Amino acid sequence: MARPTQSRRRRNRIPPRRPRGARRDRRRGRSALFGFSSWLWLCAAAAFIGGVATGVQLKRLDHTVTQRFEGRLFRVPSRVYSAPAIVYPGLNWRQADLLGVLVRLGYREAESGDHSLEPGQVRWGTQRARVHLRAFSHPRRSEPNRDIELRLAGNEIESILELPQRREVAAVLLEPEFVGAYYGLDRAQRELVRLGDVPQHLIDAVLAIEDQRFLDHHGIDPLRVVGAFLANLRAGGIAQGGSTLTQQLVKNFFLTSERTYRRKTLEAVMALLVELRYSKELILEAYLNEIYLGQRGATAIHGVGEASRLFFGKSVRDLSVAEATLIAGIIHSPNGNSPYRDRATALARRNLVLKHMWKQGRLDEVTYNASRSVPLRLAHVTHEANHVRYFSDALRQQLPEVYDAAVLENAGLRIYSTLDTRLQRAAAAAVNEGLAELERRYPRLRGDKPGSRLEACLIALRPQTGEIVAMVGGRDYGFSQYNRCTQARRQPGSAFKPFVYAAALEPVGGGPAITLANRLDDSPFQVKLTHSVWQPQNYDHEYHGNVSPRSALENSYNVATARLGHRIGIDRVIQLARRLGIESHLPAVPSLALGVAEVTPLELARAYATFANGGIRPDLRMFEDLVAENGRTLARRDIAFERALDAGTAYLMTSLLEGVVDRGTGAGVRATGLRGAIAGKTGTTNDTYDAWFAGYTPELVAVVWVGFDEPKSHGLTGASGALPIWIRFVQEATGGEVRGAFFPPTNVVEVAIDPISGRRALSGCPARETELFLLGTEPVDTCPGDGLPAVAGHQRDPAAWVVDRFLDWLRRAQ
Amino acid sequence: MKNFSLLSLLLLGIVLGCALRIPGSYGGRKPFHLHDVADGGDAARRASQHLLLEGLATDTQEQAPRARDFYERSLQVDPGNPYAYLVLGRHYVEQGEGTRALGFLEKARALFRGESAVHPDIEAHLAGLRGAALSASGDTAQAASLLLHAQRAAPEQWSDGQLSADELR
Repeated sequence: MARPTQSRRRRNRIPPRRPRGARRDRRRGRSALFGFSSWLWLCAAAAFIGGVATGVQLKRLDHTVTQRFEGRLFRVPSRVYSAPAIVYPGLNWRQADLLGVLVRLGYREAESGDHSLEPGQVRWGTQRARVHLRAFSHPRRSEPNRDIELRLAGNEIESILELPQRREVAAVLLEPEFVGAYYGLDRAQRELVRLGDVPQHLIDAVLAIEDQRFLDHHGIDPLRVVGAFLANLRAGGIAQGGSTLTQQLVKNFFLTSERTYRRKTLEAVMALLVELRYSKELILEAYLNEIYLGQRGATAIHGVGEASRLFFGKSVRDLSVAEATLIAGIIHSPNGNSPYRDRATALARRNLVLKHMWKQGRLDEVTYNASRSVPLRLAHVTHEANHVRYFSDALRQQLPEVYDAAVLENAGLRIYSTLDTRLQRAAAAAVNEGLAELERRYPRLRGDKPGSRLEACLIALRPQTGEIVAMVGGRDYGFSQYNRCTQARRQPGSAFKPFVYAAALEPVGGGPAITLANRLDDSPFQVKLTHSVWQPQNYDHEYHGNVSPRSALENSYNVATARLGHRIGIDRVIQLARRLGIESHLPAVPSLALGVAEVTPLELARAYATFANGGIRPDLRMFEDLVAENGRTLARRDIAFERALDAGTAYLMTSLLEGVVDRGTGAGVRATGLRGAIAGKTGTTNDTYDAWFAGYTPELVAVVWVGFDEPKSHGLTGASGALPIWIRFVQEATGGEVRGAFFPPTNVVEVAIDPISGRRALSGCPARETELFLLGTEPVDTCPGDGLPAVAGHQRDPAAWVVDRFLDWLRRAQ
Repeated sequence: MKNFSLLSLLLLGIVLGCALRIPGSYGGRKPFHLHDVADGGDAARRASQHLLLEGLATDTQEQAPRARDFYERSLQVDPGNPYAYLVLGRHYVEQGEGTRALGFLEKARALFRGESAVHPDIEAHLAGLRGAALSASGDTAQAASLLLHAQRAAPEQWSDGQLSADELR
């Protein structure tokens, strides 16, 4: 019965109906077949995707590696160096702080038994000192190692002999001191070294303790991994790492320190990539420059070059075996094994490295034994002084614009500055001790919060060359980076008055407006302004009648000065101040004469330097050379100056300002016993917000400002607030003996005058004192007067006049 | 008569005054060389002079940049040393920087006024170098008269119209 059904279906082309079970079986069979192949496909697809992903990841990692290795491998902060110290016979080595300089340069005391000194060693005796000066490189003044002997006589250096020839030398230059750097956020410092400069024993020491099969493996050392695994197993925790040098380098360059499998895997893969692409020499050099080796204060020390300077004060190429092994020994735990923290541990690590080297055949037995017994001799670590950072910040502004923050933080430039470290330290001490003294003496000045504390700044420069030798922009850079020497514009008060007198004494338009024989009127004075009347007052609220310009400036009389400024025209004062170097806005108002315009201490220092320099305005400079990492000079700042004021007027001003120090508001200078040629001017603003002293010797200009950052009265005058700090500084800078003198130019003459009338004093004049005049501007009227115009000799008997002059001359000569 | 006596007394004083200045003058002189004054002055001045001499020696070996460094170090030790400004003025004349040289020469001139005894050749050197500096700056008219003055005053050193480092040393 079933057949007809089948035939009918065949006719109707309908596929025969399969039994249900058969259909299921067939599907099951097909499904099993599909399942196997799909797994295959899945696996293949997964493998493909995985391969692609791994490839992409590898490509990415490779890109990361090559980008770093073929770009700039290290970011090296640019360093700032001081001006070199110069040592010469006759120098007072105590005052010059020679020992301090050597210590800061990292020179180490030699053992008494050492006959030959290594570079960077010093042996100090009672009558002689021996110093093996280190070589230093500079585009123009590279110096070789020099072994010298200083013969001492008390505080003085009697002679300098160069060894071994014992040749007498006239002067030696010490290398410039490192005073600061432009760090990035990581505050990492390193001195890059080339592999060729690294002694073989240091390379051997590092390989012996960190990766003895470095030259044989390809980035990963399976034996070391197994060894570390077993060691950790025995220790029940992580006791030993299995990382090769390449892995350590990769970790430091690209990864974090987290202990995860992912990081370890990436580290291994990248190590393989690095080894695949780069030579062992390049990897080793990179490692030696990268490795972290401890701290100098807040600065992280990286690389053997920097560590060599930090620990031993010498170049890496001069490291002994004992020193090299000490550095290699602390790689494992730079802070824990630091010789400055734990000498015993550091020595134990050093000896372990020596032992490894000996066992591995990298060291012979004699050297091994000798090096084990070498005592630990470390260089003194000097932290970068915070106060120098005011100088470094200001220096950055003086560099050509292309050297911006990013370049300075990365390019490893060397900037040879004009900073005198001794004067900078003296300036910092003067500011801090001076302010502390003021706060002791006047408790009301003590601020409750750091931001409300009394502040000060001190800037010092050499007038002849314009070199800024010291700059302290505030009492604590750590708290406030605001540089009050260069950024704060404050009213100079009476410290501005010399510009009024210089403008009046300067011979322009046919002659000077006044001479020093003229009388100035210090009586009530007022100027009608558009909406008010300006009436200046003297500090003592009194008037002093007819006074000489010298007396007016020495006693800082406001009214006489305001009258003078008004008489000669305030534009003339502005024009002169501009020529002297004041760049801030100077409003053309009568009160400008009394210093109401706001200026920076730096500007004021420059203007006073022009007086000190005989009217020649120096270009201020804070660096001499900017040198690239490869030693090429990128920029240079030469000494430059320009005449801004005639020599005679400049000398008259210096003479007036000497009077301020000898008899006037700056007499506190002499009261401390400071002798020699000193000129200066105090400055106090009416509301006593600002106290100033701007002063100079023939070789040094220094300006001190004292005040609060916010406008607030402190009640101090220039003499009570700023002058004591100035004196502290100059005493330390000069040792109490000011060198040099101010010399009059040929167009200045000295004439005896009657101080009351200002007439030329002849014999018979009841009072007389000498005064200075520009040639041709001396008074012609005489005392005793005859009522006649007294171009001497015209109206009088010539012989009597000559006799008179001769007797005058004799009197002066006595 | 009385006036005549007093005038004679005055003349005598002038003669005496001149006589007292004889140590500072150099009659029948030999040409000025820096090493002649290298050991005068205080310690700083002596060191400064020796640095100048080292610089001049370096300059003769045609290492001008290194020489300049010695000169500037000399100023660092003694910023008031007029010879340092003179030598630097000469250096900048040699470098063709006339305007810069003039500044140093002016400074030197001002500082020499404070020196107790100055060799007469210094005046000739200041004039000659100033002439050379002006010549380098393009002011040939004034330059010629200054150079002529230098040639007349110090013929041994200025006969060729220039002052070499060796001649100054």
